[in-house]
Amino acid sequence: MVAVRFHGRGGQGAKTASRILGTAAFMSGYVAQDCPIYGAERRGAPVAAFTRFGREPIRERGAIAHPDVIVVADATLLDDVAARVLEGADDRTVLFVNTSLSTEALRAHVPIPLQVTARDVTGIALQQLGQREAISALLGAVAARLVGLDWESLRSAIGRELEDLGLPEPVIQRNLTVAKQCYETVEPAPLHKGQGWTAGTTSIHSPAYEPPTKGTARISAAGNSVLRETGGWRTFRPVLIADKCNGCWLCFAYCPDGVIAMNRDDRPVVDYAHCKGCQICIHECPTHALVAEREQEGGVAWTAK
Amino acid sequence: MDSQMMTGNLAAAWGARLADVDYIPAFPITPQTEIVEALAKWCERGELAARFVSMDSEHSMMTAAGAAEVTGARVFTATSSQGLLHAFEVLYAISGWRAPLVLVNVSRALAAPITLEADHNDVLAARDAGFLQIHAETCQEVLDSILMAYRIAEDERVMLPVIVNLDGFTLSFTREPVSLPDPDTVRRFLPPFRPSHLGFTASSPHALGVAVIGGTPYAYFKHQMHLAARNALEVHRETADSFQALFGRRYDVVEGYRLEEAEDVLVMTNAGASQGKAAVDAARAQGKRVGLLRLRMIRPWPADAIRQALRGRRAVAVMDQNVAPGQGGILYREVAACLYHEAARPGALCSFIGGLGGQHLSEGMFHAIFEQTAEAGVAGRGCGPVLLYSAEEHREMTQLQMVAGTVGRDGR
Repeated sequence: MVAVRFHGRGGQGAKTASRILGTAAFMSGYVAQDCPIYGAERRGAPVAAFTRFGREPIRERGAIAHPDVIVVADATLLDDVAARVLEGADDRTVLFVNTSLSTEALRAHVPIPLQVTARDVTGIALQQLGQREAISALLGAVAARLVGLDWESLRSAIGRELEDLGLPEPVIQRNLTVAKQCYETVEPAPLHKGQGWTAGTTSIHSPAYEPPTKGTARISAAGNSVLRETGGWRTFRPVLIADKCNGCWLCFAYCPDGVIAMNRDDRPVVDYAHCKGCQICIHECPTHALVAEREQEGGVAWTAK
Repeated sequence: MDSQMMTGNLAAAWGARLADVDYIPAFPITPQTEIVEALAKWCERGELAARFVSMDSEHSMMTAAGAAEVTGARVFTATSSQGLLHAFEVLYAISGWRAPLVLVNVSRALAAPITLEADHNDVLAARDAGFLQIHAETCQEVLDSILMAYRIAEDERVMLPVIVNLDGFTLSFTREPVSLPDPDTVRRFLPPFRPSHLGFTASSPHALGVAVIGGTPYAYFKHQMHLAARNALEVHRETADSFQALFGRRYDVVEGYRLEEAEDVLVMTNAGASQGKAAVDAARAQGKRVGLLRLRMIRPWPADAIRQALRGRRAVAVMDQNVAPGQGGILYREVAACLYHEAARPGALCSFIGGLGGQHLSEGMFHAIFEQTAEAGVAGRGCGPVLLYSAEEHREMTQLQMVAGTVGRDGR
C-alpha cells in the first residue's frame, strides 16, 4: 500500500488534490481510499488530507501516521508546530514542498534527512492560470507523478474531480495544461510502500482522577488568543497604497478577525501577526487602495514564533 | 456493476435515492450535511422524485418525518450527535406509531466539551427508543444497509423504524470504491411500501398516538414493539439471503473475522473494526491466535449469534467507542449479559474503552489490547474498563492544560 499525506491551508485545495490522486489510483486499477481531516477551520488554517492505494483491501482508516510521500502545499506549514507536517517521517519518506525556494535551500530548512523536492507550484499557477490559490490539480499531478501513476489516469481524474466541483470546461482545460507541466517537472520517487513499520506495544496510562479545576474542559488563561499568531495562514497579504485610500473605514468594518486598526489619519494599519489573509478587505475597498501581495519564503515572510 | 469512489455520506444519499424515497425532511449538522446536500441537489434536478423540505430543527425534522411516514410515504432523513439528541422524544413517538422510516446517524461525540469526530454515545443513547440499529463498517455497507433497512423495517412482522449508523470522518468524509446497485434490481429487492396499518384518506379516518391511561394497554403495545424488534433477527436473515442472491454481497447481524481457531476474540463495531481487522492480521502474522467479531446489528441484540461466536474462547475483549460514566462500556455489559447462561462462556471478559471523540488508536494500542486480553485469559479473570490512553497522549494533554491555564508550568 502507498500512503500519501497532503498538508495545506484551507482553500488551497489539499482535499481536492487528495481526491484527484485517489481517483487517479482507482482508475489505474488500484483499491483506493482518500479522506480529509478538518475541524472548525477557515480559509488559511492548516488542513490535512490522506490518500491510500494498493492491490489489497485497505483496512487502515483516518490519519496516515507513516506516510510514504508528504505533499506540502504551503512552505510556511513547515514552521507551524501544530500542523505536524513531518510527523512519522524518516529518511525513506519523500517530501514535496510547494515553495519558491530551491530544493537545496529547502533541504537546509528540513530537520530530518528526507528525500526532498521543491517546486514553485503557486508560481506556475500565477503565471499560467492567473489564479491565486487554485493549485489542487497541480498538487494532485505532482503527487501522482511521484507515486508513479500514468498521465492518462491522472488526466481523467483531474477532469472528473474539477467537474465535480462545478468548474467550467475552459477552466478545467487550463488546469489540465498546467497540471501536465507540473506532472513533468518531477520524477517518480523510490517508495518503500509502507514496508518496514513495525509497531511496538503501546503501554497504557489511563489518567487518574484530578480536581475539577484540571478535569473540566475550561480555559482560565484570559485573553490568550493573541498568543496564537495566525499570520502564517496567509498566502497573500493586504498592502496599503496610502495615496489611494479615502479613509472610509470599510476595511476596518469588514475585517472578520479585527486585525485592522485605524490610525489618526483614518488609514488602516494591519496586524500582520494575526491577519489570516482572507482578502475580504481587498475585495471591499472601494478605491482599490488595498492590494494583495504574495508572501515570499526565505526570510521575508512572517514566521510563526 | 459500476463502481466509483464515494464518501460514506454520498453512499448514504445513494441508498435513499435507490430506495426511491418519497419525502426527505432535512436539517444540517456536521458531519452529516453532505447527505442532505446531495439529496437536495438530486431533488432539484428531478433525478429523485421526492419532496425535500428544510426544517427549522431536528425536532421538527423528526416530527415531519414521522408524520409523513404514517401517511404511507417512504421517508428518509439523517442527523448526527446533538441533532439526534434534540430529536430524541420524537424517536419514541415514531417507533410507537410503528412508522418504519429510515434515519441515518453519522456518529459524532456529544458535547460537552464539544467536538466533531466520532464516537457512539450519540447512537447508543437511542438504543432503547424502539428503532432497530444497523452499524456499518464501510461506505458500501452504508448504501447496502439502507436498502436492507427499508425492507426489514417495512416487513409486516417488524414495522419499526431503523437507524443506520456510520462513523463521522472515518466513513462520512472517506471515499472508497462503492458499487452502485442497479435500480431495476433494487426495485425487485424492495417492493413498494404498502403498510396495512398506516395511511390517511378522507374515506377511512383513524387516529395514531392515542392516549392509553392505565398500564394494561400500554404494556401490551410496548411488548408488541419488543416482539416486533425480536422478529427483525429472522427478517434480517431472509433479507440478507435475498440481498446476496441479487447483489452478491452478504451481511449478517454479526461478522466474524479470522475466528477459526482463535483463542481470544476482540469485539468491535463500525468503521473502527477495519483497523481491528488489520490488527488481527498483524497479530496472526506473529503467531497469535486472535480474531474479531464485528457487531453489525445492535438492535435487536443478536444474542444467539454473539453466544455462538464467543463460546469456548479463552478470552474476549469488548472495545467500546463510548462511555457510560459510572458504568463503563455500553456494549461490554450487553455482551456480558448474553454470555451469562452460556455453559462454555469465555474464561475472561475484558472491557476496553477507546476512540472517544475520534481518538486515533495506534497499531501499538491494539497490541496492548491483545496482550492484556491474553493475560486475562491465562489468569481466568477479566479486566477493565481500561481507557486506552498512552503516555504520549497524556503529555499532549498536559501541554494543552498549560496553554489553557488549568495546569501550571510545573505540570501541577
